[in-house]
Amino acid sequence: MSNTNTSSAHLIASHQEIVHFPKGGKPALAANEWLVWSGSQDEGGLPDLEHEAHKVLAPFTWWIERHHEADVIAKAKNGQIGVWFATDDDILKHAELIEAGKQYWPLVAAYFPIFRDGRSFSTAALLRDRLGWNKEIRMIGDVLIDQLLQGARVGFDSFALRHDQDLNVALQQFDLFSVTTQNSWRGKRSLLATN
Amino acid sequence: MYKYDHIDQTLVDQRVAQFRDQVSRRLNGTLAEEEFRPIRLQNGLYHQRHAFMLRVAIPYGLFSAKQLRTLALISEKYDRGYGHFTTRQNIQYNWVTLEDTPDILAELAKVEMHAIQTSGNCIRNITSDAFAGVAGDEYVDPRPVCELLRQWSTLHPEFAHLPRKFKFAVNGAKEDRTVLLCHDVGIELKKNTNNELTADIYAGGGMGRTPILGSLIKQDLPWHVLPSYLTALLRVYNRFGRRDNLYKARIKILVKALGPEEFARQVEGEWLHIKNGDDNFTQAEWNRVAQHFTKPAYKSLTALSAAQVIDLATEAEKAAFARWIERNVKSHQVPGYTSVILSLKPHGTVAPGDVTTAQMLAIADLADQYSFGELRATHEQNLVLADVEQSKLYELWQEAKRQKVALPNVGLLTDIIACPGGDFCSLANAKSLPIAKAIQERFDDLDYLFDLGGISLNISGCINSCGHHHVGNIGVLGVDKDGEEWYQITLGGEQGNDAAIGKVIGPSFYADEIPNVITNIINTYVKERTEDESFISTYRRLGVAPFKEAAYKDKLENAKKKDEVGDKVAAGDAS
Ligand code: HEM
Ligand code: SF4
Repeated sequence: MSNTNTSSAHLIASHQEIVHFPKGGKPALAANEWLVWSGSQDEGGLPDLEHEAHKVLAPFTWWIERHHEADVIAKAKNGQIGVWFATDDDILKHAELIEAGKQYWPLVAAYFPIFRDGRSFSTAALLRDRLGWNKEIRMIGDVLIDQLLQGARVGFDSFALRHDQDLNVALQQFDLFSVTTQNSWRGKRSLLATN
Repeated sequence: MYKYDHIDQTLVDQRVAQFRDQVSRRLNGTLAEEEFRPIRLQNGLYHQRHAFMLRVAIPYGLFSAKQLRTLALISEKYDRGYGHFTTRQNIQYNWVTLEDTPDILAELAKVEMHAIQTSGNCIRNITSDAFAGVAGDEYVDPRPVCELLRQWSTLHPEFAHLPRKFKFAVNGAKEDRTVLLCHDVGIELKKNTNNELTADIYAGGGMGRTPILGSLIKQDLPWHVLPSYLTALLRVYNRFGRRDNLYKARIKILVKALGPEEFARQVEGEWLHIKNGDDNFTQAEWNRVAQHFTKPAYKSLTALSAAQVIDLATEAEKAAFARWIERNVKSHQVPGYTSVILSLKPHGTVAPGDVTTAQMLAIADLADQYSFGELRATHEQNLVLADVEQSKLYELWQEAKRQKVALPNVGLLTDIIACPGGDFCSLANAKSLPIAKAIQERFDDLDYLFDLGGISLNISGCINSCGHHHVGNIGVLGVDKDGEEWYQITLGGEQGNDAAIGKVIGPSFYADEIPNVITNIINTYVKERTEDESFISTYRRLGVAPFKEAAYKDKLENAKKKDEVGDKVAAGDAS
């Protein structure tokens, strides 16, 4: 099981393992390389990527402010920075910045402050349908077993579950339904698919 | 009526399996109650005052005799021998256990039923006109659209955790019997000049503590783009609806805050990008679904006049039969046929909308015998047999009397809509059912009820407004004052085409004052009405003042008496 990295207060979460479920592939556990950083560090700088973690998911609001800085660009070019979207980040207002970010970010994430706040489902749907994001999108925050299926269908393909969740039960969630009655990122509704 | 294909059936079966696993994780403690809650709610399972309550969907109100027999079986085997029909075309069981619920859902799945999204912060069971497909004043049969929307909304992943519950109603008749404007989204179906099916969309209606009627935000939307348009609408709500305050989280607050024009503009902006996508319904889907809503095998009959129908009865019964025809039988599209409303509000019942196991079984037989095996649940908590031959009405009436569902009070003062209130609901401020009963007992005289004509009286046990008190001509709302049960009266509410939100008349009353208060209000109407004037018209003509005065008359007199007694006591003390 994964554990929390407690050595740095400015990290909101770190996982040893995540569930990875690529479109068209099979769900599986995967080693995690990414730290989720809250951006709340006093100096406002990134965590030390040399020593602590190699790759970091930074808040999108932080990216908005800092993406011009040479140090940030260098690390981003190096594939060490991704961003995560808070529930109230209006991604459509920043469509251009996200378009530009596509060349840097290996993945993006959307945050669930509490599992029953479904705003990030729409964020993922918009990233896929509207903004043409075709790399990984990770579900982070209060991610529970019973939200995975919805996440997978709106556009998420990796899942950093809350630390108390049973990853083996989690892996079984994606096969629960063999039919759907509306289109999703993963496929057409059953009726269209069989026609 | 609609028949599941293997896709629908597989989906409900797999849903049962999913919930069975979730319940077992709850029971073995690996799933916390807090996290299980939204899951059970999306499977219709509430935790009420005494026990679990299961709310089963009757999509757009249409169900079969076979399904009703299963509902009866469930009430017998897993509950206490009755079920409760609600205003939103669901049936509730008040006494189920968590452990039994997966089995109940499995029983339902066997007859193409489910409890999916009957609760929770998601798109709820879609409601429509109980007379869909048969009503004399219908210009579009809403059922294919309702069924397509049922499928589209079922387990919709993006909208599984909205800020708040989300209710659709669909109407296609001249008279609105769906309370369209009190829904988060009301869909009014129309035919345009080219005979194409279109929809007008109303958004932001709802009751609860901030009652608001929906606003028209889109006109003449082609039917097949409903999924993309509604996706856009729900996306705006999901992203920008308030989540900080439960009471402000409904879409009505967002629409009000932005203004309907701005809300419509934002939806339009979102829709632009998806309107041509393949989320939209296809003609093939329509064809597949619509074939289930073709007309049943009607005989070719000649229409009977009212007098001819009444002549079917014996001399002694003519008057009572005529009354039932007048109130509980509705016009039909096909000559020789009518629709019959079975009243679930016999006076002195336990709760409006309740039916026992035995009644359910008997009503299922009536549906088989008289109405092609089909039934409808109405917004007023009654049941409808939609396709009854006029020549069989007398026979049916006698059967219905035997089952105690023939009271001719449809649309009258005692056809009360009431929520379960404090007897069952843990959110209640006050009881509703004893109030309903007391009013029915007070107005037990059918001649008098008939003379009063159409009046709606709706009761809610708290401001959540499950009993729709805001849209009752007379509304009764349970309120809590210092831990005591009080009742506030609203007047002037109305459902239908002239929908209106009632106005609170003043300070609240004790439970035992309510029958007198209602009597005084009714007496004022009787005194003031012109010939053939309905209660609501009289109210609109005169305004609240005379009714308010009448309502508080007894209170004032009592207070005066008390004062006099008080004065005497005071005088005695002084002497
Ligand atoms: C376990 C029992 C019930 C509970 C806990 C419950 C809970 C609630 C709550 C919290 C609301 C307020 C929603 C809001 O305005 O945000 C509400 C509204 C409502 N409920 Fe219930 N309810 C129950 C039973 C019923 C029953 C039996 C009916 C039908 C007879 C019903 C129909 C409605 C309707 C029509 C509304 C108003 C919807 C609107 O404002 O759009 N509920 N209910
Ligand atoms: S109105 Fe209040 S008391 Fe009545 S059912 Fe709804 S929540 Fe319960």
